[in-house]
Amino acid sequence: MKLDSPNLQSRLAAEYVLGTLHGAARRRFHDYLARDAGLRAAVTHWEGHLTPLAGRLREVAPPDRVWTRIEARIDGARRPATSPRWLPFWRNLGLGASALAVALFAVLVAGPQAPREPMLTSVLAEENNTARVVVDQPKNDLLQVKMVKPWKAMGGMVLELWVIGPDGKPRSIGVINDTGMTQIVLVGLDNKLKDGMMFALSKEPPGGSPTGAPTGPVMCKGVIARMPAKAPADKPQA
Amino acid sequence: MSADTSARDTELADLLAQCGLGNRAAFKVLYESTKSKLFAVSLRIVRERHIAEEVLQDAFVNIWNNAAGYATQKSAPLTWMTAIVRNRSLDIVRRPKLEVADEDDWFTLHLEDEAPGPEGLLAESRDRARVERCMEALDAEQKQSIALAFYKGLSHSEVAEHLKRPLGTVKTHIRRGLLKLKGCLDA
Repeated sequence: MKLDSPNLQSRLAAEYVLGTLHGAARRRFHDYLARDAGLRAAVTHWEGHLTPLAGRLREVAPPDRVWTRIEARIDGARRPATSPRWLPFWRNLGLGASALAVALFAVLVAGPQAPREPMLTSVLAEENNTARVVVDQPKNDLLQVKMVKPWKAMGGMVLELWVIGPDGKPRSIGVINDTGMTQIVLVGLDNKLKDGMMFALSKEPPGGSPTGAPTGPVMCKGVIARMPAKAPADKPQA
Repeated sequence: MSADTSARDTELADLLAQCGLGNRAAFKVLYESTKSKLFAVSLRIVRERHIAEEVLQDAFVNIWNNAAGYATQKSAPLTWMTAIVRNRSLDIVRRPKLEVADEDDWFTLHLEDEAPGPEGLLAESRDRARVERCMEALDAEQKQSIALAFYKGLSHSEVAEHLKRPLGTVKTHIRRGLLKLKGCLDA
């Protein structure tokens, strides 16, 4: 689609500023916006028109912790990247979940039905230690994600799997089914998981996070247990 | 920025310029003077307080990081900041199930929404009076649809569901309403 007609540009910019473009349409619009100065000007024009309507809203004071976190993030940015958004996530990592992962690892390895020894495994549990998802990597380029306890209703949202390395930054692995088993075949998967310390599942809009970082709440998370000796590709971690 | 830059616009623009130079005290003042307005904007769209808090955090980190570039923007400072908050909110908007509220027309939204606070009459009052006057000139359904989309961040289909109208009808109302608004606002 070409957006070179000023009328079409203005129309789309108006809908964008108004907020009616959601999900994929909004993401597509962002792509156009990034490379089209005319469209950016149309958006700025409409923002000037419509945004003052927001002045009508009754003010609501945010809690003090918001400022504390803003400061922490600005100060944190000067140090090498840790994502403060995800820090609580590390702190709250329950020992129960790790113990569970280790136990399950043992079961997977020893179990008669295990087709081959997984290179890594992880049990993703909620804050209250309810296990929801089991992840294992049977082959270099294959990750199996099994929903052991599905959520009742996803309300049109999807689940996205992330791997988190020592820098605390979540990297997307992909969107997974909210029931049953999802097999993710990914060239370079091994490399992507190499430094991974934990997996997390977040709730995202259809199609996955629009920003490349988790935007929704963390649904569950789990540390990664590895099988170092049996997986030649899996070198000891530094 | 419009020619009739108000005192408050100037003040906010100065604060942003200071932020661009790394002045943290100015940033704090900027935050304090706009946080409640911007939090309300996000809260309306994302509806959950903890998400609105995250939006506000993201937005202000963004504002801090981009304050130096603000001078090149052609927007009033509060418009620029509000747009950042709205965009972030719309990017992460998620709405498990659309509850059908009874405050579903422009007139009720109008009443429910606050009369301007002590500072509210200042900066955006002129721009706001203009867009509100133009809104009043729209047909009732156009007004309703546009207000729902703007304040609550509803998509076309959500507005349709909310108003119990066919999707095509709602799209037409919004498109024609925006066109009429443009005619009025650009006049």
